[in-house]
Amino acid sequence: MSAGADATSTSTSSPAAPEAPAPPVEDLFALGRRAAAARDAALGRRGTFARSRRLLGSGAWRGPRDASVSYVEASDLPALGGWAAARAAGATVVVGADVAPLREASGDGARVVVRAVFRSGESEGARSGRLRALAACDAPPWGVIPTPEGEPYGLDTVRFTALCRLALPAGCHVLADVERLGPRLAQMCLGFGADELLAPIVGERALRLGDNANNPALTRKEAVTLIRGAGLVPAERLTGDLLEEIA
Amino acid sequence: MPSTNALPRIRDKVRDGEPLSLEDGVALFEHRNLLELGLLANEVRERLHGERTYFNRNLHINATNVCEASCRFCSFARLEEGKTGAYTMSHAEAWGKLQARLDAGDPITEIHIVNGLHPGLPFEYYTELLAGLKRLQASIHLKAFTAVEIFYFHKKYGLSIAEVITRLRAAGLDSIPGGGAEIFAARVRKKICDDKCTADEWLEVHRAAHGLGLRSNCTMLYGTIETVEERVDHMLRLRALQAETGGFQTFIPLAFHPDNNALMKLPGPTGVEDLRTYAVARLVLDNIPHLKAYWIMLGVKTAQAALWFGADDLDGTVQEEKIYHMAGAETPQAMSPGEIVRIIRNAGRTPVERDTLYNVVAEGEALASDKPFRRDVRRHALEVVP
Repeated sequence: MSAGADATSTSTSSPAAPEAPAPPVEDLFALGRRAAAARDAALGRRGTFARSRRLLGSGAWRGPRDASVSYVEASDLPALGGWAAARAAGATVVVGADVAPLREASGDGARVVVRAVFRSGESEGARSGRLRALAACDAPPWGVIPTPEGEPYGLDTVRFTALCRLALPAGCHVLADVERLGPRLAQMCLGFGADELLAPIVGERALRLGDNANNPALTRKEAVTLIRGAGLVPAERLTGDLLEEIA
Repeated sequence: MPSTNALPRIRDKVRDGEPLSLEDGVALFEHRNLLELGLLANEVRERLHGERTYFNRNLHINATNVCEASCRFCSFARLEEGKTGAYTMSHAEAWGKLQARLDAGDPITEIHIVNGLHPGLPFEYYTELLAGLKRLQASIHLKAFTAVEIFYFHKKYGLSIAEVITRLRAAGLDSIPGGGAEIFAARVRKKICDDKCTADEWLEVHRAAHGLGLRSNCTMLYGTIETVEERVDHMLRLRALQAETGGFQTFIPLAFHPDNNALMKLPGPTGVEDLRTYAVARLVLDNIPHLKAYWIMLGVKTAQAALWFGADDLDGTVQEEKIYHMAGAETPQAMSPGEIVRIIRNAGRTPVERDTLYNVVAEGEALASDKPFRRDVRRHALEVVP
């Protein structure tokens, strides 16, 4: 996959304007319903999750050995020696905010997931413009992760999630990042067009005590509960992109 | 699925001003489409308050966490003085919290006081606590002591409920917070809070307070072991008392936090469940004017979203909240007025600083920045409960 040269400006370049954000353009409920309908039409009323592992810049893996998705952050590619080295180590997915560094990987068969950054105070028109540019690439990304700069506001996040769904091609996945947004807000995003929960999925979760109190990992059961609670049919993404619906 | 088909019928009832039934409330909880539910709740919210979204400047004082009750959801209480983590503030310590705010030039309008049920303190500890705060700032509004505490004072000190309230009022009490209601269903109370006052006793305290001319708030703890029927039943019992007295100002759904307590194996409510509960509350509690998204418990992000699912109040700036942070709340312990204003404006709503009784303290240009707000803006007096 390739993501065109000028669609690269999803990353941030200037500090956030602290005051007077533009008022929302479209009614929240109308926007949410349009986005959810678009998701349902393109991908079904399904919410997915996957057991994933990450290739670190050191060359070590973090995550379960039997993960179905093996990814690398674009920021780690220089330390690893580029995409070719990451691919040789087993990575199949590359995640990053700047699209330009992902082009090498996408041209070499990698699945590209773009962190679509947004910030409080910017206009919805500016956000839509960036997303439209991303959508106009020769080969748009496999998925996008709505990523707030700084502490996210709830409504900003769900609205941006809906914009991602509506601006990007029908088959593009919109991933709700549990680690970044927290489980409550990530689940809400499923009601606004997101179709996949992005979180470390663990076999068994320790009690929320001590150092584990803020561990963002979800068990398979917790992921299923969040997806079902959002009114979607939970499904696990397995190796080879097979989807297994969970009864 | 009956619940899916129920929404148009319920929408008609809501628009006709007809109170919803237990079955209606359950159907709303079971309605799959959260956005349809939210749209209807938002319609009611905007009918009542337009875009206005309230907050206040307040300070929390939890003077003691020593508590005879052993509620299984509580992470705050310590059963005995001297146990690890147990504390009881001296009057000077408690008054010092207010003095510090005054010294900082923070024009707070309310102190919210909630404590454990301490078995060893005299009644005068509480009256002097209030009186000392009033001596420091006569205009401060003291919203103090849940119905559970007042009922405990009634039993422990051998005073009638009315006499407890009257004496506290003479010492400076201005209104009563809504905590301690938990869930009214006896089945649930027996399992999670067997040794505190019953639902009827909780309601009786608020009835007495309203009868004496005090306003109060009401709450519901959700996300433990209750059913949706029990949630709706809880709301209906509050609605019935409100129809009788008119003394409740605000309903505050309280999301259970599962950390550091005996119920920590429960998952706690999810974000969608939070919004659903707010929306249903707005629709069922048609005679309680305000619905508060208590950001301390919900988290700022969810609280902001709740402003479109029925809520019209974000609570306040809050200083030194302890009860929910000991239960694992990851929110800050305070927010500046400027931050609250930004959150409300970012939600597309209009911020209004209020006092405890929903008189307007500042709005519009006066809320434009973090600078101290003007205090000479117009005030709307609400009807006083007879």
